[in-house]
Amino acid sequence: MRRAHLLGLGFLSPALAIILMLFLIPVLLTVMFSFTNMSTATGISGGAYEINAASLRKLADAGAQESFVETLGKESFVVDDAGITAAAAAYGEQFANEVGSQMLGERFSSRRDLERAFRKLKSRPRSTRDIKKAADLFKRSVLNIRFETAGGLVDAVTDNGIEMTPDQQELLTKTIYTGWTWTSDNFALMAQIPYVWRVAGNTVLYVVLTLAASVGMGLFLAITTFYLPSSAASSFRAIWFLPRILPNVIFVLMWKWLAWDTGFLSSLLANFGVPPRNWMLDTGVNAWVFIVLINGIVGASLGMILFGSAIKSIPQSMLHASEVDGASRWQQIRYIILPQLRWPIMFICAYSTLSLLTSFEYILLSTDGGPGGATEVWSLMAFHTALDNYAGNLQYGLGAAMALMLVIVGILASLVYLRIFNFNDLVAKPRIEQ
Amino acid sequence: MTSSNFRSWPLFLVLAVISMPLVIMYVYLFVDTVTDTTAGSLIPDRFTLHHWRFLWEEPETGRVSIWTVTLNTFIFATCTTLINVSASVTAGYALSRLNMPFKRFFLGGILTLHAFPTITLIISIFLILQMIGLYNTLIGVILVKAALELPLGIWIMKGFFDNVPWEIEMAGLQDGASRFTVWWKLVLPQVQPGVAALSVFVFLSAWSEFILPQVLAPSGSAQVLSTYLSNLIFDDMKPDFNMFKSVGVFYALPVIVIYLIFNKQLMNIYGGGTKG
Repeated sequence: MRRAHLLGLGFLSPALAIILMLFLIPVLLTVMFSFTNMSTATGISGGAYEINAASLRKLADAGAQESFVETLGKESFVVDDAGITAAAAAYGEQFANEVGSQMLGERFSSRRDLERAFRKLKSRPRSTRDIKKAADLFKRSVLNIRFETAGGLVDAVTDNGIEMTPDQQELLTKTIYTGWTWTSDNFALMAQIPYVWRVAGNTVLYVVLTLAASVGMGLFLAITTFYLPSSAASSFRAIWFLPRILPNVIFVLMWKWLAWDTGFLSSLLANFGVPPRNWMLDTGVNAWVFIVLINGIVGASLGMILFGSAIKSIPQSMLHASEVDGASRWQQIRYIILPQLRWPIMFICAYSTLSLLTSFEYILLSTDGGPGGATEVWSLMAFHTALDNYAGNLQYGLGAAMALMLVIVGILASLVYLRIFNFNDLVAKPRIEQ
Repeated sequence: MTSSNFRSWPLFLVLAVISMPLVIMYVYLFVDTVTDTTAGSLIPDRFTLHHWRFLWEEPETGRVSIWTVTLNTFIFATCTTLINVSASVTAGYALSRLNMPFKRFFLGGILTLHAFPTITLIISIFLILQMIGLYNTLIGVILVKAALELPLGIWIMKGFFDNVPWEIEMAGLQDGASRFTVWWKLVLPQVQPGVAALSVFVFLSAWSEFILPQVLAPSGSAQVLSTYLSNLIFDDMKPDFNMFKSVGVFYALPVIVIYLIFNKQLMNIYGGGTKG
């Protein structure tokens, strides 16, 4: 590799390192996570194997035979060395030795059987209560014990005298694992969510309406301020540019205040006998109006600036000439200004489609998808599923799968845009080192 | 442009009418912070500094003092800007001027990365930060924010470097300076407006950032003003909009001041978007 190459790569390396760590790896991990069932319940590190009441229920739900689940849940009584030692401590060596010599290795499926066997011994404890207690010392169960590996669990189960077919063994280890596992179910799950198509529709509606509003308003503002005397124009530009730089929490706060049931709109309309209500969250239609207004105005700020600078670069002589020819203002706009704005408009459309598709901050802050999911869009759904839901079980895997859909759409769209916006023009040949 | 063919007052009127809601919201945003209004009325009738009490009163239990939060926000925005601008300036120069393998690939990649805004990455970043123990720290949010603004930063800086005449560099090389010296001593001063504009832009963007701190550092010690304000709004069953607005104005003041000072530089970035 040549020296010049090293210099270039060296200059690029800080950015490359950051991009690798915080862009490429996260994207790859998003893909990875979307094929897992990770959630708050499974945790993000490994899990363990434990048979308990809950996991037995899960096992039954997963289609295990009833008898199998029952045996797993049952305690069994095994005469082993550990039990004999315990019995020796509690009821004397003699009893322990007798148990050891006569019954070692025997198995009883219930306590009553073991008690019956004890009663046949000579040195058994006197009272029935003591016999019961002695029997308890031999109780063995796999319930409520954590095993780090599947092998440990299987060994323990077989040690307890429960025979498993390989099928049962696989079902058991798969169902009762508490950590996350690989799965491709997320995409099927996503398709099964009853409101998923509505959310997809909402997303399209949101992008189209907001884009139309912001391009329309942006164009209107750019053209009207162009025709105003410069002092008036710059104050209007300042008014309409502020939404872009105001922190979004504050911008949404202003709208909330406007729409609240004790807020400006309600107080104003009370004078005309309209009962106060929360105008933003009242009905789905109202929520949409506010969503489109809030996002549209922020988009219009950008549009106004971009279109404004494009209009300024139109040669003044063209406009003057048209005026001498007696063009009306509408004709000037239609035949001189708009044709010059073709590229900026296309750029804004391309850029905003992508950013709107994935943006949800203003919706999260204003309606949070409400009322009743009326304004839930795809990215907000992914956010709610993975990072912020009321049920408390955050489904990272499913959320990542939803986000992956957006990644795919994003990549496809930007490939198309690179074609349209003539990528080759952007790469200049270096002129010092060839 | 003004012209004698048509009058401008009808336009002025139309613009004034459609700007009305925004103006009302701005005016009330400021007025409400220092006044009280009788319920049901629209016109404030009493002057008060009561709504600003969060500045000097002890915070409620479980809440962090506004000054800690402000300091956090300042650290967050400053560090993000430093990291982002240094990486953008070097990478922008490399992509604009230097020869290297896979240059087209890098450039296309950076453009494509621009299509990955927060939501597509935040789930895995959340899990990564938890795994490496940077969850709930300012460092984690700073790194993530600096990275997410990086494609745009590189792109903007590349645009500025593209406009520097090649002759400057060639003259420097003729005089025996190294490529690095040429970059540091001759080219960087040429793009100073770009560096200033990008710094202001990234600082403002970090100052306003909400989703990243909300998800990646939600607890008290690493809170920033945006999450502080939104928690305040979400917590209260009976909203005290005057107080929210006071916190909001306090939060927005640096933004407004910066906007007034760096108006031109900001327009350079927002308006330069088409140029690439």
